[in-house]
Amino acid sequence: MSRGPKMKLVKLGIIGLGYVGQIHLRHGLKLASAQVYAVSDLSKKSLAKAKNAGVKKVFSNYKELLADPEIDAVIIALPTHLHLQCAKEAADAKKQIFLEKPIARNVEEAKQIVSAADKNSVKLMMGYPLRFSTEFCNLREKIRQGELGDVEVAYASYISSGPFFHRAEGYAPTPVPEWWFNKKLTGGGALMDMGSHLINLLRWYFGEVKDVKAHFGHRFGMDFEDSAICLIKFQTETTAILNVGWFSQQYHLTVEALGSVGHAVVQHRPSNTLSTAVQMLTTGTSRFHQPHFSELQYFVNCLIRDISPSPSGQDGLKDLEAIEQAYNNQIQLK
Amino acid sequence: MSLVSFVKVTNNAEDSIRQAILESLNAINYSFEKEVKNVVIKPNLCYYWDYSTGQTTDPRFMAELIDLIREEISPNADISVVESDASAMKCKYAFKILGYEKLAEDYKVNLTNLSTDPYRYVQVKAGTQSFRMMVPQTIEKADLKINVPKIKYAMKGIELTCALKNIFGCNPYPRKFRYHPYLGEAIVASNKAMKFDLCIVDGNIVSGIQPRRLGLVMASRDFVAIDAAAAKIAGLNPKKIKYIKLANKEGLGNISFIPKGAPISHFRSAYPRKDVKKKLMGNAYSLVTRLRMGRRLGLE
Repeated sequence: MSRGPKMKLVKLGIIGLGYVGQIHLRHGLKLASAQVYAVSDLSKKSLAKAKNAGVKKVFSNYKELLADPEIDAVIIALPTHLHLQCAKEAADAKKQIFLEKPIARNVEEAKQIVSAADKNSVKLMMGYPLRFSTEFCNLREKIRQGELGDVEVAYASYISSGPFFHRAEGYAPTPVPEWWFNKKLTGGGALMDMGSHLINLLRWYFGEVKDVKAHFGHRFGMDFEDSAICLIKFQTETTAILNVGWFSQQYHLTVEALGSVGHAVVQHRPSNTLSTAVQMLTTGTSRFHQPHFSELQYFVNCLIRDISPSPSGQDGLKDLEAIEQAYNNQIQLK
Repeated sequence: MSLVSFVKVTNNAEDSIRQAILESLNAINYSFEKEVKNVVIKPNLCYYWDYSTGQTTDPRFMAELIDLIREEISPNADISVVESDASAMKCKYAFKILGYEKLAEDYKVNLTNLSTDPYRYVQVKAGTQSFRMMVPQTIEKADLKINVPKIKYAMKGIELTCALKNIFGCNPYPRKFRYHPYLGEAIVASNKAMKFDLCIVDGNIVSGIQPRRLGLVMASRDFVAIDAAAAKIAGLNPKKIKYIKLANKEGLGNISFIPKGAPISHFRSAYPRKDVKKKLMGNAYSLVTRLRMGRRLGLE
């Protein structure tokens, strides 16, 4: 990717103030080297809240945000089916782009997004917060330094309620946005949503994907999978078993690497309610969401220092290629 | 005093569930009337969590009940399973995700989203509040209305949901959180506006501080009595639950009941009850939501 001009204070525009968009807004407002200059969303309530929080401009149409010459970069936190159009328009408007995962609904759309960013010489970073979690970074270092020997097998599990939000004690049920129920708009189910995180992480650890086979579960009878078990072979000859699902009220995210010398397990889990409340009051974010903050800080630093961010649009594309391969290589169990 | 039956489901097999339903009805001397043509069954569908969480009525339980109704009344009985949209749940998805679409297909019953059903307004008073309640046509037309709730803890002020609260779910108005400031009165008003004939509690899996296979089926024609019994099982004093007291005062039933079948103590000791820590957490959460600090504290 070619380099753009260096920036001192990055002016950000956030497109979409849904669940993830709100997290980016909260973190963006805490960044010393960036200013959340504008936000765009259809919800007047969300826009009013953003305005109260100190955002200078609010738009109900993202095209107006893209037309604002003051804005250097945009964070696109829209439903997946809107990624292509919005990312292309952002690239055409010469805005640097931070795009939430998955990059698009399918490989074809992903290629168009990457190509639009390349054509306009804008940076494109994918939102994969696990890449900025201290624990997962430490595991990568262990693997890279050879502390575990050759990693023969890896297990990666990411199980939660997915879009069917927390309903455990102490949490109120949240309406699920309609688009989550429509495969044409999401491009897939749990593998697309949560598997993209793990595939990206495992590619970071073990290189490119050579082969994938998958079994899909449909506990809830929808036309998309609510769970998936994938068997993945990487270029480093590591075999990974990846397990994702939307079926549990309890959040579970763990990666285990079993090497010829040793093994290591990493978990990412929310703190208890009291501890989270204290973290939120004292720092404005929780330890659970710290990787989101770090990735945004890193994106801004890349813009200031004029370096290409990673995970890039190409990474997003490769992750999606692996996911498509999984959809095409299904194993049926009786 | 009203009869409330308590029957143990001997194992998790379908025929055991059916046997327990049958025994629970026999214990309260209930028999289906042969001339019934239209039956409405109201399960408890809450959000998109399936039966294994203990929060929603098991479609297998419904299937056994449907079979029993067809056996006892007529194979041609027209049966509608009803639910309405809620603040965070849409029936069109809940029916599918929770296994009710398959149930409807396999057992040839109608699935009715009461939020899209024609309705008429009725004015109802409950306690100090007056409500203009929407009564759906499907409920009004039914000859036999059966309530199949779950036993669950609820927000502070309501404490427990079972039979009476499940009828509040027949209210077609989807944004039900609007009733929360006077939810107790709204529950009682719903029961005054829509009188059901029979309640059979699916207590096979219950939701306390965690789900547990309790293996319980309860039945009664008195919803106040069955709620009082459910409260006792969950370790609560029904006389301290305001809406149960109000329902009693408004003539919907009796808090006192005559237990039939298995001893209530068996189920009470096995129920996953709230401990002191959970009660304190519940109070703290209630305070936080009242102060609208949920998002700031990372709870939303």
